[in-house]
Amino acid sequence: MNKRGSYYRYLNRFGWLCVGPAMLLFCIFMLYPILSSLYYVTRKWKGSTDSFVGLGNFARMFRDSYFFQALGHNFLYMAVQIPLMIFLALMLAVILNQGIKRLRGTLRTIYFLPCVTSLVATSVLFKILFQTNGLLNNIMIGLGAISEPIGWLTSPFWANVTIIFAMTWRWTGYNMVFFLVGLQSIDTEIYEAAEVDGAGKARQFFRITLPLLTPVILFSAVASTSNTMQLFDEPNVLTTGGGPANATMTAALYIYRQAFVINSDFGYATTLSYVVVLIAGVFAYVQMRLLGGKRGS
Amino acid sequence: MSVVRRFSASSLAIWIVLAAGAFLSLFPFFWMVVGTTLNPNDVIRGVVLPGDELGSNWAKAIKNYRLGLFFLNSLKIALLTVFFGLVVNSLAAFGFEKYKSKARERVFGILLLTLIIPSIALVIPQFRLFAFFKMLNSHAAIVLPSVMSVFIIFFMRQNFKMFPTEIIEAARVDGAGELGIFLRIVAPSMKASFASVAIYIFLSQWNSYLWPLMTVLTEAKKTLPIALASMMNAYTIEYGALMIIVCISVMPVLVLFLAMQKQFVAGLLGSVK
Repeated sequence: MNKRGSYYRYLNRFGWLCVGPAMLLFCIFMLYPILSSLYYVTRKWKGSTDSFVGLGNFARMFRDSYFFQALGHNFLYMAVQIPLMIFLALMLAVILNQGIKRLRGTLRTIYFLPCVTSLVATSVLFKILFQTNGLLNNIMIGLGAISEPIGWLTSPFWANVTIIFAMTWRWTGYNMVFFLVGLQSIDTEIYEAAEVDGAGKARQFFRITLPLLTPVILFSAVASTSNTMQLFDEPNVLTTGGGPANATMTAALYIYRQAFVINSDFGYATTLSYVVVLIAGVFAYVQMRLLGGKRGS
Repeated sequence: MSVVRRFSASSLAIWIVLAAGAFLSLFPFFWMVVGTTLNPNDVIRGVVLPGDELGSNWAKAIKNYRLGLFFLNSLKIALLTVFFGLVVNSLAAFGFEKYKSKARERVFGILLLTLIIPSIALVIPQFRLFAFFKMLNSHAAIVLPSVMSVFIIFFMRQNFKMFPTEIIEAARVDGAGELGIFLRIVAPSMKASFASVAIYIFLSQWNSYLWPLMTVLTEAKKTLPIALASMMNAYTIEYGALMIIVCISVMPVLVLFLAMQKQFVAGLLGSVK
C-alpha cells in the first residue's frame, strides 16, 4: 500500500515535470502580462515618465471617437466580409463535393494556397496591383469596365473594398476545406432517399446540406470573427497605417499606434486593449452558447 | 444522355466559377514571379510578361537590402520556435493527458480560458517586460513568447488521447522509465501529429509581423516581413528588389505546403474534431 502510494507520487511528480516548462513560459509570457496590465491601465505615459491617473484612461477612451470609429471598421468587416467569404467557400465546397472527382484535390490545393503565405508579402503584392495606375485598373480600363481609374487605396470607400477583397482572397479556400470535410461526412444515402422522394437539388441543399453543415459554418464564422477582431497586418501594410484618412483603421492597429507610433502611451493602449478583450469574451460566450445549444438538439 | 449533361449550361457555369476561383487564387503568385524580372516602372504598371531585369533585381536585393541576412534571420527564428515549441508543448500535452490529476486539470482549465485573449492585449505588457530586461531587439525576444502555445497543447492533448494507455502500462511493467516511454514509444508513433504541429508553428512564426514589428529595432535583426514592411514605408521604394524579397518570403512556404500538404490538412482538420 505504502509502496503504491510512493509510486503514485513518483508519477504525479513526473506529470508536473512534463507540464513544468510550459507552465513556466505561461507564467512569464501570459500570466505576468495579464496581471501587469492591471497596473498599466492606471498609468499615463508622458515622454519616458509615467504617472497614476486612476480610471482616467477609461474616461479618455469614452471621449475618443477615433477609437470607436476604428472598432466600427472591425464590425464592418465582420458584417460584410465574413458572410461573403462563407457564401463563396460554401459554394465552392458544394461544387467540388458534387461530381468533380478528377480535379477535386488539385483545386482544393489551389484554393487553399493563399492562406499559408506571408500576410505582409501578399499585402505588398496587392498594394502594387491595386495602385491607381496599377495592373487592376489597367485591365479594367482595357476591358472597358471603367473609364476612370479607381482609387483602390486612395478613396476611403474603395480602400475598404480592397481590404475586404484581400481578406476574402486569403481565407475563402481555408474555410472551404472545413466545409468540404463537413460535406463528406454527410451520408450519401440521405440524398438518395430525398431523390426518391422527388426533392430537387435546391431543396436538398436547403433541407439537408445546410442544416447538417450548420455547426461547421458556425465554427468558421466564430473563428473568422475572432480573427477579424484582431485585424492588423492588412490595414498596416496594404492601406498604410489604416489610411486613407483613417478609413481602414482597426482597433488593433489603433492600439499599436497609440503605444508605438503617435505617442508612447502604454497605459492608454493597454486600456483600449481591454475593450478588445471584452468584445472577444462576449463573442466567445455567444460561441459556446451557440455551439453547445446545437449539440443538444 | 451523359454527353448532353456534361455540356449543359449549368455545368458550364460551374466550370467558369471553378476556373475563376483558381485564376484569382494563383494570379498574384504568378505575377509575383513575373515581377522579379521587371524594371521598377513595369512593376508599378503591372506588366504581365517577363522582362530581363532578374539579374539586376537580385543584385540590388542582395547588395542594398541584405536579403541573405533577412532570410537567415527568419529561418533561424522559425526553426528555433519549431524545435522548442515541439518539445515544450508535446511534453505538456503528454503530462496533462497521461498523468491526470485534479490539480493539473484545473491548471489546464486556466490555460484554455486564456485562449480567448487576443494577442494585441498581450503584446504591450510583453513589450514592457522585454524592455525592462533590456532584451528588445534580440531574436530571443521573438522566439521565447511564441514557444508555449495553449492551442497546440490542446491540439496535441487531443492526439495523445488516441494513444492507448495500456501500451504505456505494459512498457512500465517491462521496466521502461517514464521519459523513455515518451521518447521511444509514444513520440515515434505520433510522427504525423508532430509534423502537423511543426508546420503550423513554422508558418505562424515565418509569417509573423506584429510582435517582430514591436521588438526589432535594427537592420541586422530584421526578419523578411519586417524588411518588406519597412521597404514599403521608405521614401523611395526599390520595386525590383522588393519583388525579389516578396518572392523569397512566399516561395519556401509554398514549396513546404505543396510537399507536406497531407500533414498540413490533417493538422488543420484535427483542430476541428
